Amino acid sequence: MSAHSITSAPPGVAVAPEMPDLLPAVKLRGGVLGFLRRHPTIAVGGALVIAMMLMALLAPYLGTVDPTALATARRTRAPSAENWFGTDMLGRDIYSRVVYGTRISLTIGFSVALIASSIGLAIGLVSGFVRWADGIIMRIMDGMMSIPPILLAIALMALTHGSVGNVITAITLAEIPRVSRLVRSVVLSLREQPYVDAAVAAGTRTPMIILRHILPNTLPPMTVQATYICAGAMIVEAILSFIGAGTPPIIPSWGNIMAEGRALWQVKPFIVFFPAVFLSVTVLAVNLLGDGLRDALDPRLAKGL
Amino acid sequence: MYRNVNRRTALKLAAGAGALAMSGKLAAPALAQGAAARTLRFVPQANLANFDPIWGTQYVVRNASAMVWDTLYGFDDKLVPQRQMAESEEVSSDGLTWTFKLRTGLKFHDGEPVLAKDVAASLDRWAARDQMGLLIKGIQQELVAVDDRTVKWVLKKPFPKMLLALGKISTPIAFIMPERLAKTDPFKQISEYVGSGPMRFVKNEWVPGAKAVFEKFPDYVPRQEPGSWLAGGKRMLAERVEWVIMPDPATASAALQNGEIDWWENPISDLVPVLSKNRNVLVDIADPLGNIGAFRMNHLYPPFNDVRARRAVLMAMSQEDYMRAIVGDDNALWKPLPGFFTPGTPLYTEEGGDILKGKRDFDGAKRLLAQSGYSGQPVTCLVAQDQPITKAQGDVTADLLKRLGMNVDFAAIDWGTVGQRRAMKTPPGQGGWQMFHTWHSGADCINPAVAIGVRASGDKAWFGWPDVPAVEAQVEAWYAAKTLDEEKTAIGRLNKAALDGVVYAPTGFFLSYQAWRKNVTGVVKGPLPFFWGVAKSA
Amino acid sequence: MLSYIVRRLLATIPVMAVVALFVFSLLYVAPGDPAAVIAGDQASPEDVARIRQSLGLDRPFLIRFGEWVWQILHGDLGTSIFTNLPVTTMMVQRFEPTLSLMAITLCLSVSIAVPIGVLAAWKVGTWIDRAVMAFAVLGFSVPVFVIGYLLAYVFALELEWLPVQGYTPLSEGVWPWLENLILPAIALGCVYSALIARITRAAMLEVLQQDYIRTARAKGMGQTAILFVHALKNASVPIVTVIGIGIALLIGGAVVTESVFAIPGLGRLTVDAILRRDYPLIQGIVLLFSFVYVLVNLLIDLLYTLLDPRIRY
Repeated sequence: MSAHSITSAPPGVAVAPEMPDLLPAVKLRGGVLGFLRRHPTIAVGGALVIAMMLMALLAPYLGTVDPTALATARRTRAPSAENWFGTDMLGRDIYSRVVYGTRISLTIGFSVALIASSIGLAIGLVSGFVRWADGIIMRIMDGMMSIPPILLAIALMALTHGSVGNVITAITLAEIPRVSRLVRSVVLSLREQPYVDAAVAAGTRTPMIILRHILPNTLPPMTVQATYICAGAMIVEAILSFIGAGTPPIIPSWGNIMAEGRALWQVKPFIVFFPAVFLSVTVLAVNLLGDGLRDALDPRLAKGL
Repeated sequence: MYRNVNRRTALKLAAGAGALAMSGKLAAPALAQGAAARTLRFVPQANLANFDPIWGTQYVVRNASAMVWDTLYGFDDKLVPQRQMAESEEVSSDGLTWTFKLRTGLKFHDGEPVLAKDVAASLDRWAARDQMGLLIKGIQQELVAVDDRTVKWVLKKPFPKMLLALGKISTPIAFIMPERLAKTDPFKQISEYVGSGPMRFVKNEWVPGAKAVFEKFPDYVPRQEPGSWLAGGKRMLAERVEWVIMPDPATASAALQNGEIDWWENPISDLVPVLSKNRNVLVDIADPLGNIGAFRMNHLYPPFNDVRARRAVLMAMSQEDYMRAIVGDDNALWKPLPGFFTPGTPLYTEEGGDILKGKRDFDGAKRLLAQSGYSGQPVTCLVAQDQPITKAQGDVTADLLKRLGMNVDFAAIDWGTVGQRRAMKTPPGQGGWQMFHTWHSGADCINPAVAIGVRASGDKAWFGWPDVPAVEAQVEAWYAAKTLDEEKTAIGRLNKAALDGVVYAPTGFFLSYQAWRKNVTGVVKGPLPFFWGVAKSA
Repeated sequence: MLSYIVRRLLATIPVMAVVALFVFSLLYVAPGDPAAVIAGDQASPEDVARIRQSLGLDRPFLIRFGEWVWQILHGDLGTSIFTNLPVTTMMVQRFEPTLSLMAITLCLSVSIAVPIGVLAAWKVGTWIDRAVMAFAVLGFSVPVFVIGYLLAYVFALELEWLPVQGYTPLSEGVWPWLENLILPAIALGCVYSALIARITRAAMLEVLQQDYIRTARAKGMGQTAILFVHALKNASVPIVTVIGIGIALLIGGAVVTESVFAIPGLGRLTVDAILRRDYPLIQGIVLLFSFVYVLVNLLIDLLYTLLDPRIRY
């Protein structure tokens, strides 16, 4: 891997960050296990995320009952042998709802992160590098950011009805401008670099410049940002459920379980507690994974600091 | 803001020593304690978004308006209209002319005396928006002020239930406003709030959605009789009433326990045990007339255009499930309701209600449903997610229909959208609907004049457009009835006809609590919170 | 530079125009009828139609939009359908609480998060680093209302150190004002601080292993000076970006915080207005938001030039 630093400059003057290859050779020295041992955050984070995904996939086989089955005579019962996490205000089994809720929350989190990141990255790259487009694009992004996602979510809900798709759309549209701004800020710092001028002088086309020189340096902060988006989306879903614009209760998600039980949290805290724990663990896992990936892609940091 | 003298005050005084120099409020705590002790802070059931009780008919607007405006007649706690602003009334022998005489000394909040022309204009505006008022207007010859204290209402046909109409609690109430306000188009809002009641609305302190302030009107002349709901003397003991809008029940609960508010209109029943345990809080039933939960099916389109499908749902539904979903575990808060009229009122009846009683019959229901020709098409259920009552009912319905083998299209929307969609007569699948959830206040279900939900006049009926001529015939009979027994007979038959044809499905009768602090006295049960007679001691 | 600022300010006009058109169209198309809500359950369809007519809601799209734009150009944001008060009045009433909450939250979060982010970067790999990151993730993963309830329960209900809810205007004294804002600011700030701390750490790490840092250290510069004079300044671009982006997050979280702590702010007003379909009010608020965002972003972009001389416009 070539990692040549440019001559050191006097203190106080910022210098171009080093340029890793487009696909750095992530050393698999010692095999996969060795890799994981050197990057415990990826190991732990990845394991937890996989565990959550497995839970989502295998939901019917994990001792669950129908998450929408009512039993009003047994509402708000504390956790017991029969209902491991207790029952909610309509007597539904909270354990089942939480397990099935994994599907929804993960779907929302991953979808929003993926879609918002891709679109935001593209927009940010173009905006940061192509000067004349910057003004227009950023003003449109400003415009998009000022539409409260709540308005969008409720309007979408009213136009059709509450659903997972509408929640994803509303949150994604709100996240794209932020991603693009972050990417743009990195690109702005980078585009003044001498090597970029050199590349332009050498006749390299703009897309190649973006792809080869700019993109790799946006990936580390982007990865971190994507993990935030994923986690944030799951939290925003809880907020939308809080005001009644999230997924309908027949589709349980951690957000709407918490939102429904929030008035009772002083007397029946278990209704909010369990989904909150699952949400926190998942967010932790996603963040660890993101951190680990960033460290792995940027080995300079891993070098014993 | 009133504080209990406690750790918080000590902390505040200590920490605020430095800030005092900036704020200059050293004297404030002592003064604030005194003034605040006379301010009654109340948390209403909903946001007070507007303040014209004829134009906007939400319950919360009515409740606030009852403080600010007075009425000619008012229900007492036996639901009998009593004189309020009226000193006397007279009906001509042919029943066509009603003459009302005003009490003396009545004043508006701007100091002007209440005159007959104000009454005439107010009644005219009210009648344009009220069901009973529209009936009266339909047979009206003239409504005039004969002199400063006398109003005459001349009709073409007798209307024996006149006093009921003028004194009833269901919205809109016949409030008396100054003539210039009452001349506002009934489909437009008034812009000033000059009242005739015991409290003044302090408009410049109004923060819609957050706070509303009312102050005692010193020139109000209460009647001599003891106060009883909207009748009798409305004596204000609190100088100032503040309505604090709190969207979050957990916060309101904490604030009540803490002394930051004094009276909470409707704590959710799951939080009531915590409040009862608090030494400083009292809890009791709020409104003995309660509420009636409901869902309505669309009689225009399949599957519910066939009465067998409707009755199948009634056979299978469990009112206990619905009620527990709404009020929780407290059995004192709900009763099954095999009918449409409020328990505890004179016209309550269970005639024809067997279909809702006893063990639920799913097999029979499924057979009946199959007979009606249901073949699996989606059933669109409108469920407003932002109203706890409809949200809870919606969940139970989804479960019920699924167990009946029906294909549920659960439309989780908000109340504003329900309001628009339920009015659409287009087929389901093209924006229409087959079922929506709602509820009615018990005060609105005491007789067919105010209970719009039970009317079955087809196109003119409420959403769902039930068409059951037997019901309408009994409504006529009730209007014509001369004695209570005649009324009861008519209502009994009405109830049976309405259940046979399933005008709508009552999900049960439920009550709610209200909670207040021990240092607040005079809180009574009623269909709306009554602020007269309520005092707060230090 | 000045021309840049002027150009940006002028550019706000088309932005807001686009936003205005988009929101207006969205509201026009979205179902939900304020007239039905106003008319109430008892009203006949004719009544509802009459109310709709008196509110001007039955006129065609272009006329309604044109009239609204005309009003705005005269400085009039219209009148709320429900309260009959001018939209401007209603927004001004609610402005101070939200602004106060945001300001306190911003100060609190930044003053806590940036230093601990720097600390974590400096002590990367040690328990301090892990502790900071744990706090960051926790602050981020627990929903605002859960934190809010916990804070209210512990500090207001049980310990009685602070009020449970409400808002006292600044004009009634600094401490009463602060008193009502501390718990909400902490609840709201948890997420914000977590975000800032993490980005600070990440950005600082990027910068700290630069050659010039090594050079500065070799030259004998003190640790604090290195951290704050060289490293932080160069790391600040993404940090400031995230602070700016986070303001959007604050507005979203403010809705919840204002509900939980019963603060009469703009967040709650927005939700109430949307659920009631109070069109003029919604439109006015969205215009206000867009203006604020544009200003904030302009400030952030200007800050970039101060912090990173490589950035030019």
